[in-house]
Amino acid sequence: MIKKLPVAVVNQIAAGEVVERPSSVVKELVENSIDAGSKSVRVEIAAGGAELIRIIDDGHGFLPEDLPLAFASHATSKLSDVHDLDHIASLGFRGEALASIGAVSRASIRSRRHDADEGWEVRTDGGKESKPAPCGCPVGTTIEIRDLFYNVPARRKFLKTPGAEKARVQETLAELSLARLDVGFTFVADGKEILRLPADASLAERFTRCFGQRLGKGLIPVARKFSHMSVEGIVGEPDLARRDSKLELCYINGRLAREKSAFHAIRQAYREYLMGGRFPIYVLQVSLPPDQVDVNIHPRKAEVRFVDSRAVAGCLHETVRSALGDRGLVQSAGGVVIDPNLPRAKSGFPTAPLPAGLFGDGAATPPAGSPRAFAADPVETVVRDRGAEALAGGDEARPRAGAALGPAGDDADANVRRNPFEHGPQRFLQIMDLYLLLEGPDGLMVVDQHALHERVMYERLQREHASQAVAIQRLVTPAVVEVAPTELDWLQRARESLASAGLLVDQMGPNTVGVHGVPAVLHRVDPEKLVRMLLEGEPGEGRAKVNEQIHEKFHSMACRSAIMSGDRLTQPEIEALLAEAATLEHPHNCPHGRPTVLTFNSAELERYFRRRC
Amino acid sequence: MKILCDRSVLLEGVNVVSSVVPAKTTKPILQNLLLHAKDDDGGGITLFATDLEMAARVDIESVKVQKPGTALLPGRELSALLREIGDPTVTLASTDQRCKIESQGGSFVLLGEDVEQYPDEFELAAGKRVEVPCGSMLRMVQETVFAAAREETRYAINGVMIDCGSSCMRLVATDGRRLSVSYQNIDSAEEFKVVVPLRALNTLARALPEDDDTPLAIQVGDKQISFTNGKMQLVSQLLDTRFPDYEGVVPKSADTTVEIDRVTLEGALRRASILAASEMRMVRFEVHESSLNLTAESSARGRADVTIDAVVKGAGGSINFNPDYILEALRVCDLEQVRLDMSDDSMPAKFTLGESFTYVVMPISGA
Repeated sequence: MIKKLPVAVVNQIAAGEVVERPSSVVKELVENSIDAGSKSVRVEIAAGGAELIRIIDDGHGFLPEDLPLAFASHATSKLSDVHDLDHIASLGFRGEALASIGAVSRASIRSRRHDADEGWEVRTDGGKESKPAPCGCPVGTTIEIRDLFYNVPARRKFLKTPGAEKARVQETLAELSLARLDVGFTFVADGKEILRLPADASLAERFTRCFGQRLGKGLIPVARKFSHMSVEGIVGEPDLARRDSKLELCYINGRLAREKSAFHAIRQAYREYLMGGRFPIYVLQVSLPPDQVDVNIHPRKAEVRFVDSRAVAGCLHETVRSALGDRGLVQSAGGVVIDPNLPRAKSGFPTAPLPAGLFGDGAATPPAGSPRAFAADPVETVVRDRGAEALAGGDEARPRAGAALGPAGDDADANVRRNPFEHGPQRFLQIMDLYLLLEGPDGLMVVDQHALHERVMYERLQREHASQAVAIQRLVTPAVVEVAPTELDWLQRARESLASAGLLVDQMGPNTVGVHGVPAVLHRVDPEKLVRMLLEGEPGEGRAKVNEQIHEKFHSMACRSAIMSGDRLTQPEIEALLAEAATLEHPHNCPHGRPTVLTFNSAELERYFRRRC
Repeated sequence: MKILCDRSVLLEGVNVVSSVVPAKTTKPILQNLLLHAKDDDGGGITLFATDLEMAARVDIESVKVQKPGTALLPGRELSALLREIGDPTVTLASTDQRCKIESQGGSFVLLGEDVEQYPDEFELAAGKRVEVPCGSMLRMVQETVFAAAREETRYAINGVMIDCGSSCMRLVATDGRRLSVSYQNIDSAEEFKVVVPLRALNTLARALPEDDDTPLAIQVGDKQISFTNGKMQLVSQLLDTRFPDYEGVVPKSADTTVEIDRVTLEGALRRASILAASEMRMVRFEVHESSLNLTAESSARGRADVTIDAVVKGAGGSINFNPDYILEALRVCDLEQVRLDMSDDSMPAKFTLGESFTYVVMPISGA
């Protein structure tokens, strides 16, 4: 027999979607505080949040007449009709958070508005609300959640140790705080202050306070404006990469979002710099018109969907790629990135090639169907280098990421990039038939001859390939590949794009495609394997994915043709290698992401020799 | 067991059989070959080896058996020793899994293994049987195996198809980029289509004498095929795969026909291909009124431009090929004049490289 469930049970079930653990309570409530215009938010927890979660803000507070509805489901002051959903500017909007939390805890709200003389209080116990009563309290809202999940033992059982839950809360708060630099945050656990994040800090400063000084040293500020969106934030040096993806933080209109195509695009930009299994760190704030993004697809709003995800991915890729390409940072021996303070060469460098299509993968023609709406627009590229100044202390010598390399790349000075080998003839010594010791402008440089030569060969192959038209090796009979419906869908959408990179794919049966031609450079690769490799991983732009495979091949060709460890080099050979290294686009890493050169700068050497402490 | 025999005759047999011996195996006993010395009055020995997917047997009659018996011997070492020993004759004597080889060049002991543990010969269920001259079979194998897919490519065509029907036997091989067909008329009404692993045909080619009209019997069962001539038998599992429809691939008509001297073409193509880029092998064929112009370009190394005489019928035009595909085929071609039938750069091109040797190459086109 079908029965309609009582409201209390409905709310408990709904709570499961929104409220998973203390950190999700904190997320919902802190978002409410931010939406209420608070300038300062204090979060206190006890026993990992299972015992107590208290959020104190100085926002505009509840209207007394609204308090009876505070714990009601689908009751919100943030939107009123369905059209509001199209342009949501607040973090919350579903009207579910307080109802869900109230249903699984003993909660109280005390709130006073700026213009009111007294505050009001309302309590709930597992969904049974009290009548609002006047009380004394400061301006703002204080919400207390006690005994979370006391009436849902199943969920309480799944809470981790207080220490682990506390760490989750801290992480959540840090993530939220990075989106709102104008709001101050304080986090107190079991009476001890853990985080204090003053308002109006720079992003780099706040990031450092949240995640530690070590990471703070290798952050490159970025700021790019495209015609319909802008990207701002910090990207971490590749050598800060982690084994997990926790610090890949991408905010869409102020909301932390996990969006696959965005992740993929950014990782692609890092690809040449990272070793396998490593994840970059970055904080990027993407602003785009609210009607270009749908945030209402996940109860916790952990996912978003873009109207044109390819364009967004393209802009993100371009932003990160140019920031990494422009960084004037030499990897130092101690894993610390040294801030170079050097005269900048004015000329003698190949200017960066124009990115072809959004992914700039070398070939000359833009991909068919390249997005128009958000295409990078050099005219609108604006430098907003707040972060850089804060980080470098106004140091003029620091390359201004974001300023350089507008896609048009017509400003010669902005195109100058730092290359540790740019200073021409150096004194050098080959040791162990593997390392070259050079006197560089920064101090002692130690070069891995194989890694550096590999990079040289790789860029040579890439240049050669880029100068040639795309060629397709036709197949005698189509190679038949069986695919899943979603894969088929992607292949059909990517068909044109794949063809522009030399891969001809057509649907054959209801769940098969036929490969009619493969890029001539990959003529030895099994066509079926090639298609399978493209289908693996994140669905990205077709042409870019084919080019990835081509570059993979160049990697191994470069590795095989490069000088090895154990090859003794003559003076002229070393000179030639260093001369060609000076023209490299990415001299810092071999194609597999290993560093090519370590620098011991004079400060470090002085420290090692105790000339200076 | 003890035998006395001519070294070079023994070496020839050992080489055929030991090409079956796997280089790597988790079953070490397979790295041996079996030597059986017969006790009947004619004498003679039988060599046998298998990797469980194929097996080869060679009979050698001109051997003096002093003491019949069977021995299992390490294949690679036996063949290397026989190659290095200079003596015209050698003596092999084995007792208790130890085989002694006495010669002028020294005396050697090969440690064998237990004969009982070695796999038996394959039983071939009776099937269809056809005969073809050994020399013809060798020619067909040579004209096709090079075009079959090797490592890295589709398992499906990692073999050569033998297509028998309407009194004709055809061998067909393709790696998806080119396709080679070689045929021979035979006197049989049997019909079958099977795919034979490349390895088996390579071993067969090693065992077949050139220009020999003695018949080679081919027997085809459900899952196996055997090739037998007087002294040798090779049995192989068949590949259970679908082979592409080759008849549909060979173009029936063409816009342009070019006839070229083979030696001239091969030389010109070799020269031009030197300057094809290493990562993308491509030579452009441009057909003019009475000449063929080959060009190749590598942005890093330079450019080649070679023109040779040709008899041209049709519209002319240009088409790009991977030169290696064509050079590999010309290497096994002994025709004086070869013919190229071509249309546009999305259509297959056909080379006629022998009276019964057709080669289809897919061109390289622009995006």
